[in-house]
Amino acid sequence: MNAYITSTGAFLPGPPVDNDQIEDILGRVDGRRSRLKSRILKANGILTRHYAIDAAHRTTHSNADMAIRAARACLSASPVPMRSIGLLSCATTQGDLVLPGFGSMVQAGIGIPEVELHTSHGICSSSAMAIRAATNSLRLGEHDSALVVVSELASRLFKHTRYEAAGGYEAIDFDAEFLRWMLSDGAGAWLLETRPRGRCLRVDWIRSYSHADSFPVCMSIGRPTDQADPRSWQDFPTYAAAEAAGALLIRQDVRLLDHIVKLGVDGALRLIDEGLLDVARLDHLLCHYSSHHFRSRIFDLLQMSGAMIPYEKWFTNLYTRGNTGCASILIMLDDFLRQGSAETGDTLLCMVPESGRFNVAYIHLTIVEA
Amino acid sequence: MSRTVEIARPAELSELAQATLRRLLRAWFDFERRLARIPLLQRLDAGTFTREDYLGLLLNLRQQVIEGSRWISRCASSFDRDHADVRSAIIGHAHDEHRDYEQLEADFVAAGGDAGAIRTRTRNAGSEALHGYLMYRAGEPNPAGLLGAMWIIEGLGEKMAREWASRIEQLTGLSPDCTRFLRYHSENDGGHMDKLYGLLDRLCTTQQIADDMVCVAAVVGRLYALQIEEIDGE
Repeated sequence: MNAYITSTGAFLPGPPVDNDQIEDILGRVDGRRSRLKSRILKANGILTRHYAIDAAHRTTHSNADMAIRAARACLSASPVPMRSIGLLSCATTQGDLVLPGFGSMVQAGIGIPEVELHTSHGICSSSAMAIRAATNSLRLGEHDSALVVVSELASRLFKHTRYEAAGGYEAIDFDAEFLRWMLSDGAGAWLLETRPRGRCLRVDWIRSYSHADSFPVCMSIGRPTDQADPRSWQDFPTYAAAEAAGALLIRQDVRLLDHIVKLGVDGALRLIDEGLLDVARLDHLLCHYSSHHFRSRIFDLLQMSGAMIPYEKWFTNLYTRGNTGCASILIMLDDFLRQGSAETGDTLLCMVPESGRFNVAYIHLTIVEA
Repeated sequence: MSRTVEIARPAELSELAQATLRRLLRAWFDFERRLARIPLLQRLDAGTFTREDYLGLLLNLRQQVIEGSRWISRCASSFDRDHADVRSAIIGHAHDEHRDYEQLEADFVAAGGDAGAIRTRTRNAGSEALHGYLMYRAGEPNPAGLLGAMWIIEGLGEKMAREWASRIEQLTGLSPDCTRFLRYHSENDGGHMDKLYGLLDRLCTTQQIADDMVCVAAVVGRLYALQIEEIDGE
């Protein structure tokens, strides 16, 4: 049994926000302009993004709202009746509620009755886990259709008040500020079926390699600013105390970030070695990492070893849609199909690197015609 | 007198050399993960690495650095006349590095170590195994597989320069005068890579040789990691 992506949908909240407007929405910590903003934006190359909060820090769309809108966009483009969907497979980085699972909230919003539910937990690669669960279920013949819905609402973490509660302007280090200029909001959905329908994408294979056994945590929420303090946010007497200690800030250990590029390359070389990935035959690479991470040395090595996927085959919507974390790959495929350069027979590699504790997932698709 | 034949960077590697480079890259990434799992280097990541850790590192690396020029010289002499170009390239490499240990000793003393202690230091279990293996391999006729050893050891030299040196200074408060050995390998980086591409293209003539390079890289990675693991064990 095969799995085919027969419809896609996406939802991005509000108008695009350009680089000059970011601080108008997220706010200035202690009323001061960021010293790091332009440097980080220059490095990631993002020009516009979307936020599900407004300048008054009201949430315009909850995480579940965005997921539901993306799911509706996906389903409205398909003749498959919503009530017939067998599995709802969801992922997010942080739900609106700590409990229950995100999938429950999404199901309630879409209104699918008696569906089998899956929610995967993690950061960017939670999306690949949700896609994997859906694909497996169809391949096992347990359902005829599965809806994958993945949503990211990062901006609530970036309100200036969050940083002020953790010590303010002078207390905020580079690692705590880095993602403020990187992540933004959005949701995507894919409908998977066991039979092809019109022009659709066959899921050829999904592989992922996690390296948490070798490397420390690189992106996290839950650890205090003081690295010598081993407590988790839940170990503090009150959540207010955890917040004051910086344990509710999202952090990226920028020093370790290089590993994700190397591990992404390592996994791709393994797939080439195993005969799953044929670089010469691949038509499109979809990745929410900017291609300039692959320049210089690693580029030279890939080029010399015949493993470099030429830049003209790279597709990304990173620069206009922003980095929407776990939702990125779903939104990206939707944008890719809409821009119309895909042809029947084309092969796609979707690459989903997660720096949390280093997990990289790869999804290989082929465009087929029923 | 004929001109010295130089090993230059080829415009493109042969298909076999490309496939071998991909396998060597994976051997390297595997080695990096092995290093990342060693407690001494985990302390470097976690920010708890101390001056004592640094002294222990230098103390244990010295023997391998001294022996390094010996196996490279022996390796060069084991290439026959049909490999004169390879021999020249490797002799040049041995010459470049045969006194590196003096810099290492000077750094050790500058960081507060005792000169007598480092000079009388014997090989740890990992250095012993690594040295024995490399000397044995270097004595074989046309030991092309040792390119896999150079790949790992050169790669580590660059990693020390790019990642370890400044991190060690930051954590221990030592000045750059104490980390010159670690930094040394970042000089002429491009030149090293060009020579490596050239040697790979020149030496990858059969699948068996290619497999041998990858095997040597894997063994050297494991033994090098053992050498660093042993620092904490002493």
